[in-house]
Amino acid sequence: MGRVVIDSEKCKGCLLCVEVCPRNVLKKSETYNSKGIYPVYAENKNNCIGCALCAKRCPDMAITEVYR
Amino acid sequence: METLVFQKPSRIKKDCKVTFCPGCDHGVAIRIIAELLDELGIADKTIVVSSIGCSVFLNDYYDLDIVEAPHGRALAVATGVKRAKPDKFVFTYQGDGDFASIGLGESMHALSRGEKVTAICINNTNYGMTGGQMAPTTILGQKTTTTINGRDAEVQGYPIKICEMAAVCDGAAFVARCSLDSSKEIENTKKMIKRAFESQINGLGASVVEILSICPTNWRLSPQESHERVRRELYPVYPLGIYKDKANK
Ligand SMILES: Cc1ncc(C[n+]2csc(CCOP(=O)(O)OP(=O)(O)O)c2C)c(N)n1
Ligand code: SF4
Ligand code: SF4
Repeated sequence: MGRVVIDSEKCKGCLLCVEVCPRNVLKKSETYNSKGIYPVYAENKNNCIGCALCAKRCPDMAITEVYR
Repeated sequence: METLVFQKPSRIKKDCKVTFCPGCDHGVAIRIIAELLDELGIADKTIVVSSIGCSVFLNDYYDLDIVEAPHGRALAVATGVKRAKPDKFVFTYQGDGDFASIGLGESMHALSRGEKVTAICINNTNYGMTGGQMAPTTILGQKTTTTINGRDAEVQGYPIKICEMAAVCDGAAFVARCSLDSSKEIENTKKMIKRAFESQINGLGASVVEILSICPTNWRLSPQESHERVRRELYPVYPLGIYKDKANK
């Protein structure tokens, strides 16, 4: 089991994290943040293995913490 | 019990807002450098020389001592900083335009003099900040706002190869080219920067890490397509690898 903490105000919606996640945890949200960007959120939370690949890919340090 | 396996490096400012375009590799490079400063325990004695280009706001992201160099002069400024304070750890962070166009003279001389500093050069094959003009590293056939039909060797000449040029400088101790196009390459880039930093710490001479990076905005591609372009078009022109390593020769 793992857990990611996402700062949706910092996310720029590039979706690079979605591409690298091996467990299909992350998904683009339906609602936008204050900059008009659709940030990602952990939809399939229980699939997360805490590998931190998403956080290491994120160019905006929007995935601020990963727990395992 | 949960254990924390990833957190922001200590020298990234708490409320820092990264101003790069969505997906831009600059942000990843900045993060892994900060991680290495923590891992090597050298943040307190680090002085960063920032440059002109998309990375111009480096001082907004890093909680470190930073000097802003005029365009192209990062390695000249770094030379002064290191010579005045030889106990400090000094690195530059510059674009390919800064390093290899307006700053080519400064870069090559600092490397030839063997200044004990590290240059991190983000090669995105264009001038990002000013709107995607041709850079010295723009590859043949690449369309930019100043090579609208693609770079033509007859008109604009051939691209400059940073690592190949740096490696022939006798004062250069570590020279490597890497990329940020995949998780595996991000790990490798971190290893290369670590070795460059160590070569400065061990007083071996100048070090350069050229990082192939994407500029999705000016390339007019998605971040995902941009990473594919790095693999498809840039790898053949700019092969990854270590071009010089005085520590292991
Ligand atoms: C002396 C001087 N000449 C020209 C400029 C205009 N200028 C600003 S950034 C830049 C190029 C930046 O390209 P690069 O170094 O590749 O960095 P990037 O923005 O792509 O990260 C230029 C030519 C300037 N600021 N100062
Ligand atoms: S990589 Fe970062 S900025 Fe890009 S979508 Fe994922 S969390 Fe957002
Ligand atoms: S213009 Fe290019 S290099 Fe500059 S921040 Fe945007 S994507 Fe990055």
